[in-house]
Amino acid sequence: MPCYRHHNIRSCPLVVILALVVFGLLGCESEPRPVRPEAVVQAVPVDALVVDAFTDGEFGAHIIETVAGDVATVNPLVNESVGGSVVIGRILDSLISLDPKSGEVIPNLAKSWEISEDRMQYTFYIREGVYWSDGHPFTAEDVVFTWQTFFAKKRDPDTGELLLGDDGRPLYRYNSRSTFGQQINGQEPQVEMIDDYTVRFTTPEVYAPFLLFGGGEEILPKHILYESYQDGTLLDQWSVETAINEPWKIVGLNMFVLESYRPGERMVFARNPNYWKVNSQGQRLPYVDRIISKIVQDANSSNVAFAQGQTDFESIGPDNVAWVRRGEERFDYTVLDMGPSNTTNFIWFNLNPGTNSEGQPYIAPYKFEWFSDKRFRQAISYGINREGIIRGVFFNRADILNGYVSPKRKFWYNDDIRKYPYQVQKSRELFREMGFEYRDEQLFDGGGRRVEFSLITNSNNGLRVEMATVFKENMAALGIEVELQFLDFNTIVTKISDAFEYEACMLGLGGGAPDPYAGKDILMSGGRMHFWYPQQQAPATEWEARIDELMREVGRHTDVDTRKKYFNEVQAILAEQQPFIFLVSAKDYAGYRNRWRNVEPTPLGGLTWNTESLWAEVSE
Amino acid sequence: MIAFIIRRLLTLIPLLLGITMLVFLLMSLAPGDFLTPVKAQRDVPAELIQAIETEFGLDQPWYVQYYKWLGNVLQGNLGHSWAYKLPVSDLIGQRIWATFLLSVCAFVFSWAIAIPLGVLAAVYKDSIFDRISAAMAYAALSIPEFFLALLLVFFAAQTGWFPLGGATSIDYDYLSFGGKFIDRAHHLILPTLALGIGSVASIMRIMRANFLDTIRAGFVTTARAKGLRERIVMFKHVLRNAINPLVSAFGFAFSGLLSGALMVEIVLQYPGLGQLMYQSILREDQFVVLASVMLGCSMLVVGNLLADILLAWSDPRIRLEGKK
Repeated sequence: MPCYRHHNIRSCPLVVILALVVFGLLGCESEPRPVRPEAVVQAVPVDALVVDAFTDGEFGAHIIETVAGDVATVNPLVNESVGGSVVIGRILDSLISLDPKSGEVIPNLAKSWEISEDRMQYTFYIREGVYWSDGHPFTAEDVVFTWQTFFAKKRDPDTGELLLGDDGRPLYRYNSRSTFGQQINGQEPQVEMIDDYTVRFTTPEVYAPFLLFGGGEEILPKHILYESYQDGTLLDQWSVETAINEPWKIVGLNMFVLESYRPGERMVFARNPNYWKVNSQGQRLPYVDRIISKIVQDANSSNVAFAQGQTDFESIGPDNVAWVRRGEERFDYTVLDMGPSNTTNFIWFNLNPGTNSEGQPYIAPYKFEWFSDKRFRQAISYGINREGIIRGVFFNRADILNGYVSPKRKFWYNDDIRKYPYQVQKSRELFREMGFEYRDEQLFDGGGRRVEFSLITNSNNGLRVEMATVFKENMAALGIEVELQFLDFNTIVTKISDAFEYEACMLGLGGGAPDPYAGKDILMSGGRMHFWYPQQQAPATEWEARIDELMREVGRHTDVDTRKKYFNEVQAILAEQQPFIFLVSAKDYAGYRNRWRNVEPTPLGGLTWNTESLWAEVSE
Repeated sequence: MIAFIIRRLLTLIPLLLGITMLVFLLMSLAPGDFLTPVKAQRDVPAELIQAIETEFGLDQPWYVQYYKWLGNVLQGNLGHSWAYKLPVSDLIGQRIWATFLLSVCAFVFSWAIAIPLGVLAAVYKDSIFDRISAAMAYAALSIPEFFLALLLVFFAAQTGWFPLGGATSIDYDYLSFGGKFIDRAHHLILPTLALGIGSVASIMRIMRANFLDTIRAGFVTTARAKGLRERIVMFKHVLRNAINPLVSAFGFAFSGLLSGALMVEIVLQYPGLGQLMYQSILREDQFVVLASVMLGCSMLVVGNLLADILLAWSDPRIRLEGKK
């Protein structure tokens, strides 16, 4: 029959496709996978840290959580994302850590340290008998190796000579955040191994934050990474490919190791069998066996999963907290108010006096004259109804922000600064003092020009868009016309850091290290993120010169009270000059399922700072 | 035939060159680059940004970057992803399976349902079945894929019958072979529906129209006149002739296998190639974007080619020849 030919054509692809589907459903598993080596479990270290602040619990529970966004790498030298830092922070650990209650530096892998008389030598004494998660001993050699990777130089492969960049400085072999971030005024700190358990750092000059910044550096395992350090592939190590196929190669000192990773789906962390903290009975922590991190698209989907009782711990945004709270009883969880967040929202005016490539000034000269007058900025600040923003935009889930330091950082917060309550009358007085005048409730400057400017902010942050709208209304009440431009985030960053073609901008800053010196790039006039006029050759104004001077002192002194004194003055100058017009700081919320024990939230550490002590009854 | 195939594949070269050049140009025109989000972080040293800029060649004009990239591609190197520090080919390799599986499922689902439905609608033309199926087809065609996916997410969240996102359950690694199979299938149902329903409707309508056209052909009258039973006329003679135009649709469907699922993957959080592409475009991870574009483009050309070959194979009247 001639139709057989036809018959074959149609059924053949179908059979093949069906076979493909069946094969495909399991296809990913059919490749031979390298076998996970058995982890060597060593004895509990002599110097194990005994965590006795919490009750002893039951071993074996799992934490289920969601994380917004996938990781791109597990290599701390490459990672640039917050999500990546969280993952890496579970696996790797550092010599010191911060007390989540007081914010002080406390011992971690280093059981103690000494600072020399001249304040330039830091000697760390490492806990003895600590092992990496694979059972290899941890010594000072690993610390030295970690710092070698930061400062290794590029050399000519044939002659071994140092290769120099255009500026005559040596080129680094592995450019990482630490390579430049750990340099002190362009000079590298030196590190030497005294013995297996003692390591000494020497800073080129007195540099107060070194204990925190240097000691807080995550330590890399030399026995795993040395080979790639030698052959030049260090930055390609610990990629997601490693995480998928050979997660056990990512060896760490912290409480978890990566058990498996499925891109776009989930990460599973298993407890580190060689962890160096024990409970009061000498049993190795943590109590939880695994953390299962499901990867979801964004923070909203993550909040949804928690609100349906699917996850154990969650941080909740101010705009979601109301509906998340509704499920508290039904799904047996608790939502807590964690107080003000680290995130600060502010407006600034472009104070860059430069010109673009065509010789046009970035800011029209008459506008530049307004913006650079501190009375103008103060008047704007008095004219902003911050309570109105808190009520209307945040539904009371935010606090007024008066200065550069969020009240959450109690330790550095200076309350004794000039404040700008909502006083339209005061604004108008200041404008009149500048020679401005009102005609039909519209503000004109001394030259008879209408006072108006444009404000840019990023369109993908809904709360910020609403804040900008309130700001526009507030300014209209002062007789000022504000044109709002909602732009893509990349466009904004380009405008404020390269093109400088904008008049005013509203953005937020989050996170940041707990030491004020970490803000030097923002506060000092030469800094890359000195928003209103970055990378100045010499300070443009007297008050900026003074801030530079004060910040240098903050870096140079190790005495806390002296540092505080200098930094308080920085905050006072910023408040008086208003280069940043601060608005509000949203509150943080966090939730946890009630089955968890030993949950002791702190504003700085959040809910899970003591993950090693968290436990839950294991239900079958 | 072989000359024809070779000629078709050769046209791919200028096409790819043009498209990649365009992508390079567009990405250089887009505000910011891969490092822009890094610049917005407060604790990234300026020297690091400069060093990385030089390393990636971002400080050079786009045509220089393009030239360098092209040189690498000609040596079989698609480049390294900046975000992942991995060869782009490895990165795509990680994800391609999941997307391929989803597309094939949607494909089988839509064809297996659409062809019988289309035939029935034609055979029972103007019956109540035909009317209902037509109404449903129009409805399905008018709902955009991503919206359908959103509806399905809502449905899954409300009923709890289906998992929300992912391709496997948490306990997947501890399941038996059969359990793994069922678990994966369970996760595939919603994405398959979201991706497949639109094409069910369109294929069904094409099938119905073809079938009706063929019914009016002369040989059908002949067959009926010869006294063949109606069932044999319909399913043996008409169906086989009516299905020919769909063979070319088959080829087009192939071209969408790897790139067609983008929207559905994003909305339903299915961990495939689409998510990777989307993230790389947002991040401006240049080489990943380029590789994805090239992949999509090549699939389109190969899909077209496949359609032509299948058509020639199934219909003896068509002959493929290289240009003389």
